[in-house]
Amino acid sequence: MASILDTARAAGCFTTLLTAVELAGLSAALDSPGPFTVFAPVDEAFAALPPGTVQTLVDNTPQLARILKYHVLAGAWSRDQLIDQAQWISLEGAPVPIRRATPFEVKNATVVTADLLCDNGVVHVINRVILPG
Amino acid sequence: MTTPIAAVANCPSAPLIPPSQHPWAEVIHRLEAGGSMLPDTPENLMQIIGIYKAYAVPMDFYWRDLLYIAEQVFLDPLPAFKYFPSQEYLERPNAYAGEQSKLRLWRGGEQAHPELLAFMARGETTAMPKLLHHLWHDRINMEFAEACAQAMLWHQAMGGRFNDYLESEAYRANADRAIKAYFRRNPLMLGLYQAFPEMFLEKVKQLSYYANLGLFWEVMAPVFFEMSDIYDEGGFQGVPDAMNFLVKGIFAVAGRPIYHHVFIDGECIEIIPKAEGFTWLYEAALPYVEAVFYRTSPFRGTKSYNAQAGQVPSHQADFHYGILYADVYPVGSAGIPPTLLMQDMVHFLPPYLKELYKQHRRGEQDQLIQLGITFQRSMYNVTSAVIQALRAALFYPLDDTDPEHLLANRRFFEGQMDRFLRPEARLGAIQSQDYR
Repeated sequence: MASILDTARAAGCFTTLLTAVELAGLSAALDSPGPFTVFAPVDEAFAALPPGTVQTLVDNTPQLARILKYHVLAGAWSRDQLIDQAQWISLEGAPVPIRRATPFEVKNATVVTADLLCDNGVVHVINRVILPG
Repeated sequence: MTTPIAAVANCPSAPLIPPSQHPWAEVIHRLEAGGSMLPDTPENLMQIIGIYKAYAVPMDFYWRDLLYIAEQVFLDPLPAFKYFPSQEYLERPNAYAGEQSKLRLWRGGEQAHPELLAFMARGETTAMPKLLHHLWHDRINMEFAEACAQAMLWHQAMGGRFNDYLESEAYRANADRAIKAYFRRNPLMLGLYQAFPEMFLEKVKQLSYYANLGLFWEVMAPVFFEMSDIYDEGGFQGVPDAMNFLVKGIFAVAGRPIYHHVFIDGECIEIIPKAEGFTWLYEAALPYVEAVFYRTSPFRGTKSYNAQAGQVPSHQADFHYGILYADVYPVGSAGIPPTLLMQDMVHFLPPYLKELYKQHRRGEQDQLIQLGITFQRSMYNVTSAVIQALRAALFYPLDDTDPEHLLANRRFFEGQMDRFLRPEARLGAIQSQDYR
């Protein structure tokens, strides 16, 4: 199996996310044994944010890292495991609510592809950037 | 609950969810349709844009001086000149305006606004040394800005992680380093610090909120200037346009770092480093709205409160003395911080607002009250933008077709409107144009 980042690179629809992870200095962490659960927003999810949102984050990497860490959980958790618990604490520190099982919804994002198994965790592809709060 | 939803959902022309039964259902339905708490009328649009412009000019002074106090004046035991920001701070390029800005969304220049500089030179009286302007109180009222920062300090736990950090060991260590560096040639103050360390730490926390608010307003000033320019060019078609412009602005700068640096003999000491990851939205904007728009505290001189009779809430979260609840007449005539803001704004009113105030009530005689109510309308619109931004960030698009998502939006809007059920709320008053 490939790592989380290799899986994302191969998919071809996570260009913005991968750039952001690199800028935020989180690549090494996400390449470590982990394991992690990553809610990975597709490129369209970043593009849907109002103008300037991504640029401000890219210009300020600690703040960017904080938003990205909200998309990561410690441990490898499948869809079936995630829906058993109302919310999960992200690496950012704020809880990520699991709002619905069918369709599978994480906070206000819908999981378009669940359970991409990787060497060091699980990736769930989501259609919206999720924000703490 | 599911049956009626399913029933109406089967009919293509019917709404996907039943109407709200909330007392503010009319406003909730307007929010769900992409509107603002403030009704969409041409006069409301004119009032709010005009007052944003009048607010932005003193705000351009507030943010510069707040950062000057937090970063340079710092713990000066006799800060007699704290309202005299240095030339460096008056010329400090706005991080979100001007050609040097990395995010060039708003057209204004990076320097202090020309109307502000003109007012600082002449005031209401005439050109004279700034010390005389200060002593004659013919100046920008920084006391208002300080009252806002102090309200944020006093209410503290309002979401975000800023306040938690102020209680951390890391913050204490950074503040200790700054205090010792600042007083390294002042054994008396160092001795007092040894004797009363918490007092000094509390003062540094207060200054951290000055930095927080300064960084918050640094963004808002160019946003409001831009809105005024767009309106003058005929660009906004209604109140929702103005609200949506604010929503986009909130997202655009949401990730702006909030920090507190102090400069002592040219050395920068990071009391709150940018690396902590604190953001404009979570650590500044949301606490500011909560502390200043909703809560603040009863102002002396406006009314006598009997706390034993329950006239002042026992929980800070229930405080309701902000602009969204204010009775503008006593507030606007009592010489307290909101009056000071009104006095600051009256200097920079656009001509169309001056004309409007002449036509109503007592004309120029009570324009401070009329502009206070305009300000109240405009802050209901800003609060609407914050509510819509939070809805967009945490919930679902307004045109979502999933009834469960729409119900989640509904619950969120109803929860927000619950705060305006108390009789002091002015949400009902601003629905009418007769409220002036």
